[in-house]
Amino acid sequence: MAELTVFGYRTGTSLLHILDSRFKLACLILISLASLKAYIPGLSLLILLLVFAIIHIRVSFISVLKEIQYFLILLTFVLIARALSTPGTPVIEFMGLTMTSQGLYDGILVCGRLGTVVLLGLIFVSTTRPSEIKAAVEWFLTPFPFIPAKRVATMISLVMRFIPTILNQAKETADAQRARGIENRKNPVYRLIKFTIPLMRRTFEDADKLIVAMEARCYSENRTDPELSSGKKDWIALLLVICLCILIL
Amino acid sequence: MNILEIINLTHRFSNGAMGIENINLMVREGEFVVISGQNGSGKTTLLRHLNGLFLPTAGTVILDGISVSENVVRARQMVGMVFQDADSQIVGETVSEDVAFGPENLCLSRPEIKKRVSHALNAVGLASFADQRPHVLSGGEKRRLAIAGVLAMNPKILVFDEPFSNLDYPGVRQILKQILSLHEAGHTILLTTHDLEKVLGHANRLVIMKDGKIVRDGTPDQIVTDVETYGVRQPCASRLGMEIGSWLN
Ligand SMILES: Nc1ncnc2c1ncn2[C@@H]1O[C@H](COP(=O)(O)OP(=O)(O)OP(=O)(O)O)[C@@H](O)[C@H]1O
Ligand SMILES: [Mg+2]
Repeated sequence: MAELTVFGYRTGTSLLHILDSRFKLACLILISLASLKAYIPGLSLLILLLVFAIIHIRVSFISVLKEIQYFLILLTFVLIARALSTPGTPVIEFMGLTMTSQGLYDGILVCGRLGTVVLLGLIFVSTTRPSEIKAAVEWFLTPFPFIPAKRVATMISLVMRFIPTILNQAKETADAQRARGIENRKNPVYRLIKFTIPLMRRTFEDADKLIVAMEARCYSENRTDPELSSGKKDWIALLLVICLCILIL
Repeated sequence: MNILEIINLTHRFSNGAMGIENINLMVREGEFVVISGQNGSGKTTLLRHLNGLFLPTAGTVILDGISVSENVVRARQMVGMVFQDADSQIVGETVSEDVAFGPENLCLSRPEIKKRVSHALNAVGLASFADQRPHVLSGGEKRRLAIAGVLAMNPKILVFDEPFSNLDYPGVRQILKQILSLHEAGHTILLTTHDLEKVLGHANRLVIMKDGKIVRDGTPDQIVTDVETYGVRQPCASRLGMEIGSWLN
């Protein structure tokens, strides 16, 4: 489970930890939307601020990089693809492929936007307790008459509870199969089937056990409401975020 | 006074298999009952009737004068159950959230929930872990967390299904100490195990099951000499004709 530590709540006392989760969620959405419309200067400012925020909440930078390494690889691909496929003034020509300055600019822009959204999500998740996220989502959904907010909230929390379990299980199953020489089998379909079926079976069994455990503790949809409290700080933060969004647009 | 009365209880599974048959058991308040028997003898099936996770095919289970099937929620609150597999019993994202799950289901007020959570965590010595994620706890700590989750609902009867499985020597001693202090605090305890050695020295009563039926019921020293007929190992000390000592010293 050690690999999962960044994308999860970590205790702390920073300002970002203290803010009300509803405001944080609203800010998250606002900044994400703004970043999708922003250009290089705005994005650079935003990313700089996010880096400061990550330092502020005391998450180690190396673990963040490790956590998002696959995402970074993806971004690199996007960048290269953009740079090669957009027509414009050539910068480098190599073996019949041309990299254009417009393409490079486009690629950096797209990567910057995607990267911002991921960093935002990471900061949000690591400074907000899952129960608070759940409470915030529930609060935003309550005004909609056709959405059963409480049920959605429970589902969210169960999904979050289950992701580490499933990943753990996947790792264990993979290890157990490797120990018995699955790598000698070259057929990927065979390997996929042999891997998925036991994993699914165990996941469902676990889900079954969890249901029984929840029932044993009197689970019902009618439960004590989550605790949310907002103060002056939260409104100030929201105001600042709105100013920021206007600034970067 | 009998806090628990099981009368002619029979349970048949939906696939037709007989789980338990014609069980009669009266438990007085404050008793410490050890239920033993080989794998598949029906111990878990019996325990699950105490809080309405299974409902009887025939017969009744009465808790303090009211039958379980009549008021399942009351039964679940009165009977705290710690399952064989502690991992699957954990619902919350953090230790304190997990403990709060039960009281939230009872719709208690926030301050009351906070009080109960901190009380339960203190009782099992996990107060310093309150904001940890449950997955990072050790096996023994997970089991203590499961106990805390149950304690927060203020149960009268505590049911432990194989509480010592997968634990090392210190782990067993810790859990045993916990169980004994809960017994001293006035809880009625039912505990299943096929390893009598660890706990029998502290119990007032021993019940042996085989093939879904109760075959022996009495004080430990009356019965312990012939448990081996029923597939349960007799504790070393009693084989040598000595009194069974405690694992705590
Ligand atoms: N859901 C089910 N459907 C059908 N049969 C079941 C079911 N659950 C248990 N059984 C059967 O009922 C019998 C009693 O099972 P139970 O789990 O109560 O035994 P146990 O005494 O707790 O065993 P262990 O020591 O292994 O925990 C077993 O033969 C088992 O195969
Ligand atoms: Mg069992």
